[in-house]
Amino acid sequence: MFELLGAGIVNILQLKYLVPLFAGTLIGVVGGALPGITITMTIIVVLPFTFGLEPLQGLSAMIGVYVGGETGGLVTSCLLGIPGKPSAVATTFDGFPMAKKGEPGRALWLGIWASIFGGLLGAVFLVATTGPLARIALQFGPWEFFALFVLALSMVAGLVEASLAKGLVAGALGMIVTILGNDPVMGQKRLTLGIPMLEGGIDFLPVLIGVFAFAQIMSEVERMGGAGKAVEAVDRGVKLAVSHVKVIWEILSRPVLLLWSTFIGLVIGVLPAIGGSAANMLAYDQAKKFSRHPEKFGTGAPEGIIASESSNNANVAGSLVTIMAFGIPGDAVTAVMLGALTIHGIQSGPLFIVQNATLAYGMFAAYIVAHALVLGILFVGVRWMLRIVDIPKAALFPVVLVLCTIGAYALSNTMSNVYILLVFGLVGYAMVKFGFPLAPFILGVILGDQIEINLIRAIMTDADPWLFLTRPISGTLLVLSVASIAASIWQHRRQMAKVVAEVDADF
Amino acid sequence: MSRDGYAGLAVLAASLVLFALTLDLKVNPMVPVGPGFYPRIVLGLTAVLSLGLVVSDVLGRKRRPREQPKQELNYTLVAISFGVFALYCAALPGLGFRIATFAYVVASSALLAPPRGLKGWAGTLVLGFATAFLSWLIFERYLSVLLPRGRWTDF
Repeated sequence: MFELLGAGIVNILQLKYLVPLFAGTLIGVVGGALPGITITMTIIVVLPFTFGLEPLQGLSAMIGVYVGGETGGLVTSCLLGIPGKPSAVATTFDGFPMAKKGEPGRALWLGIWASIFGGLLGAVFLVATTGPLARIALQFGPWEFFALFVLALSMVAGLVEASLAKGLVAGALGMIVTILGNDPVMGQKRLTLGIPMLEGGIDFLPVLIGVFAFAQIMSEVERMGGAGKAVEAVDRGVKLAVSHVKVIWEILSRPVLLLWSTFIGLVIGVLPAIGGSAANMLAYDQAKKFSRHPEKFGTGAPEGIIASESSNNANVAGSLVTIMAFGIPGDAVTAVMLGALTIHGIQSGPLFIVQNATLAYGMFAAYIVAHALVLGILFVGVRWMLRIVDIPKAALFPVVLVLCTIGAYALSNTMSNVYILLVFGLVGYAMVKFGFPLAPFILGVILGDQIEINLIRAIMTDADPWLFLTRPISGTLLVLSVASIAASIWQHRRQMAKVVAEVDADF
Repeated sequence: MSRDGYAGLAVLAASLVLFALTLDLKVNPMVPVGPGFYPRIVLGLTAVLSLGLVVSDVLGRKRRPREQPKQELNYTLVAISFGVFALYCAALPGLGFRIATFAYVVASSALLAPPRGLKGWAGTLVLGFATAFLSWLIFERYLSVLLPRGRWTDF
């Protein structure tokens, strides 16, 4: 394992891999720092550039975006009080007050170093667990895969912030997308609705690009034209110099906080489609609960910054484990990576690490090296990063949509994917307006075909439906699916009861 | 009913229509289950879930917390932006990538933030030209990714 990792690091340090990794990391840092532009959006923009590259070059660029984006978001959080991305929201709670108190350098570098430590601890987990987990998954038959995908979908539907019913409906809508066009087992036409371009089925990438890009851009566009909120920033000419030894010691002298926050980030990352936005809030909440001085949180407590930033970078490692060991995207960013793998003809899943060991260990190496690159980029360009928020969105959004169009068109060099992009752009925006979560929808689109293939394979192998419950792993996974939904219903009812109590009390 | 209820009704109707369409699918004698087997499960499940959404919306009206005053949103701008993008998609095969992209970026950027004076327009035109030219150069020349060529312009 370590030999392969060493070889992977040597491999990734070659110029032909290092250049795309550096470019991706730089774009990620910039995209992460731009308020209103998420990492998903940034990786969607980078996707078409990877089509003409080797798989490892393309994936390195994407991993760079992911790692860079997670760290880049903290710059504007700490110095401008505007989270660059949802997973840096909790960093703002203490980072900005600390900066306002006259310690912007400390706030910033506490976040950067905590990100690096959280990310590197995540790398240990990523390298150590992906192989063994994939070996476990290799024992799976179609019953277990069916149950695993159902569990992933039910967990996502249950864990989203919106209502459980909407989460489940969104997941089911995603699965409907996969039944249009053709039957993946026999290739027979079905439900084409008389539209010729549906005959080959619908690729998930234009759907994913359309849903996420338009949902986000149009949600920003609808707020344009009004009076903008004045940003209460720290002075942009302020000194950001700091003693790095002191900052590193400040983090390492809180090992329990660092390890616990990293663990939270990893677990949230492994769970499908929850993402860093939940990880940083949960880690922050835990840090506050376990702190001896919870009253200091929100006033510039270093623990708040450390918890938030170490968890969101560790979250990246967790998401990579899920996609590399099981072929299930941990979040929207890894869903795009899954698409990039598919474009290069690589099948993700438990066989991925066995059949593509060089590529897999190259990805691990890219993840580790990306942290060093982030550090270098921020050492040089942290002050320049503050200018990023001045980029006008009116110039940025059309360019992003052009790149999305290229990404959709280049998948098969036909306009049909561009039309699908537009249609699902409308669908994505409508879903956001009606309060439907996008994560279960996308997971439904990605896993729908696999659920069907494994269900039919299982039935063709043995028509006894009870096997889904009587086979130990499959049965356990299905029971966990039901338990996950039951837990969500229980939690939802508890919240509703609280709301009713509050409404009744308010005369 | 709130928007949840209406959304649930729309999904329910769509899933029932698609479910009805699956009844016409022919069964393949080669496999024990036909092409309509899985779609029926998915559509049946969707119908039940969306019905659940409608019912929970109707029953949950009393428990719904009071809505906060909403920020004024510019839906006209969203609709026009979608329209401009749809025109771009329609124009791509005819005009080709470079011309259509130039026109789209200029139109969309001008729509989102109307340029002021000659300098503003010059900036918008440069943005359109740079996006069309640079993306064509990078993708077609360096990454070997083909972009749409215009049927009418051959450009």
